[in-house]
Amino acid sequence: MAGSPLPKKPWEQSGASSGAMPFNPPSNGSTSEIVEASGTARPGEVVSGTEGNAVVNRNPIGRPVPSRPWSSNYGNTPGGYGSSMNYNGVGYGSGMYGSSYGGYSGQMGGGMYGNTMYRGGGYGGAYGGAGMYGGGGMYGGGYGASPYGGGYGMQMGMGMGMGMGGGPGSQDPNSPFGGPASPPGFWMSLMRVMHGVVDFFGRIAFLIDQNTFAFHAFMSALLQLFDRSGMLYGELARFALRMLGIRTKPRKGLQQEGPGGFQGPAGPLAIEGPKADGGAWDGVWGGGVGNGM
Amino acid sequence: MPIFKAGFSGHAVKFSPFFETRLVVASAQNFGIIGNGRIQVIDIDPATGSIVELCAFDTADGVYDCAWSEAHESLLVSAVADGHVKLWDTALPPNSNPVCSFKEHGREVHSADWNPVRRDSFLTSSWDDTIKLWAVDRPASIRTFREHTYCVYTAAWSPRHADVFASASGDCTVRVWDVREPTSKLTLSAHDLEILSCDWNKYDQCCLATASIDKSIGIWDIRNTRMPMNRLEGHSFAVRKIKFSPHRPNVLVSCSYDMTVCMWDYQAEDSLLARYDHHTEFVGGIDMSVLVEGMLASTGWDELVYVWQHGTDPRA
Repeated sequence: MAGSPLPKKPWEQSGASSGAMPFNPPSNGSTSEIVEASGTARPGEVVSGTEGNAVVNRNPIGRPVPSRPWSSNYGNTPGGYGSSMNYNGVGYGSGMYGSSYGGYSGQMGGGMYGNTMYRGGGYGGAYGGAGMYGGGGMYGGGYGASPYGGGYGMQMGMGMGMGMGGGPGSQDPNSPFGGPASPPGFWMSLMRVMHGVVDFFGRIAFLIDQNTFAFHAFMSALLQLFDRSGMLYGELARFALRMLGIRTKPRKGLQQEGPGGFQGPAGPLAIEGPKADGGAWDGVWGGGVGNGM
Repeated sequence: MPIFKAGFSGHAVKFSPFFETRLVVASAQNFGIIGNGRIQVIDIDPATGSIVELCAFDTADGVYDCAWSEAHESLLVSAVADGHVKLWDTALPPNSNPVCSFKEHGREVHSADWNPVRRDSFLTSSWDDTIKLWAVDRPASIRTFREHTYCVYTAAWSPRHADVFASASGDCTVRVWDVREPTSKLTLSAHDLEILSCDWNKYDQCCLATASIDKSIGIWDIRNTRMPMNRLEGHSFAVRKIKFSPHRPNVLVSCSYDMTVCMWDYQAEDSLLARYDHHTEFVGGIDMSVLVEGMLASTGWDELVYVWQHGTDPRA
């Protein structure tokens, strides 16, 4: 068969290997004949790609995860209706995400309207439902609303998003488990575009907000640091001068009423208003000329 | 030693068992996640020392592994990410290739290994949790081995027993099979995390090495499955592939996601013999030449193929 002979393997020249192997000695003949003679042959067995996924729950986190973009769900399942995983509560179904038409926007719809943008149960539910509709239209209105709007919303602590699912969902002409969805209508597309725009600017605003806050916190910390370091410097300087025998002006002199100096808050604060003028507030802002206090 | 630019990220490189200077490289676009694949047969020009491409075959999906036929000098089998197993004849022009194409695996085929003892059959392992046995005289697979509960990353024939092979799987076990038996002969819970590769010692038919995501390499005697003979630590990320030396009983090479290729002597006190960090990306494939002692080849996601003599700098 071969044009040139196969060179001998180095380990074949070395002779027998150490130790007995716990296997029956090799059979003579061709591999196919040996396997067929052993009765274990099952020629041409086709392994389906999804079979292993559905049977074995190998998912350590115990909930469905988004299918990877390279996984073969694409096109294997008609209409993108994946496995039974889609029923498992939170709507991050494996088959849904990425495999079905519009599934991604559906997931976005449920998520964003459910928690950041509107926070209302009505909108959450409605657009959750709309997303579901775009995501394959497999479910009717009510059910379609719950995995995304409801499930995701609740996961985020909102607990909303159930109520209005019937609105856009009821536009779905298909029976709950019927055929593929019809393409989304004009309003649906418009709403989705609007949602995208709002979502985008929402994210931008959020970023700006967060950055502003971070900048503010940073700056105040910096100023505080300068302030404290100034105080430290002053204390150190005074300490050093005292060691050198130079007396500095006592600090409490500041609180005494110097000539023409600033009057510290030694007396009662003027919050009660001048009582000298009959307890009235009249002279507080403008009239207190020549009034010491 | 020569460097070859593959163009795609390399997933496997194999020396030809017939010609000292010939290799095959399996590569995939975009790191094998999505895109096309390519099989390149390359030859080292003995006069200039540079690598030239003999022929190349393109596939619709990434190629994760390939193996030279042990029976025919120009035949090779490839494991394609769309579940295909394809046979190529490098002596034929590209338009009459592939010579065979089998679609039985349901998911990505991750390894291919040609039986080095009986030479008429080969194994493929796949992410559909199965291993398939094929023979060139049959139009379909002969047998499917299903016991693993997660992706099977490697299936490797025993180099000393024509009917025995081992498989490494993501279910954290290595199973040893006899093709005549209905079930696996042995289950080795070799690591706590996914096992990516396994290989047999060429000189000790009971010695098996396993490479895992837990960054370690285990050396096992299959008669004692409770604990490994040795455990080699030194990689800082998952160990992708492992290969015993065809010439020295206790030497093996490994490649890892820490972008290095390491050579080990598992019986020595200081087991790490050499560490090569010539790749700038994950190293996907490693091989040792059967015909030239100490000749190594590696390929990685930096799209380069290095062929070098052990002890020298691959980049030199």
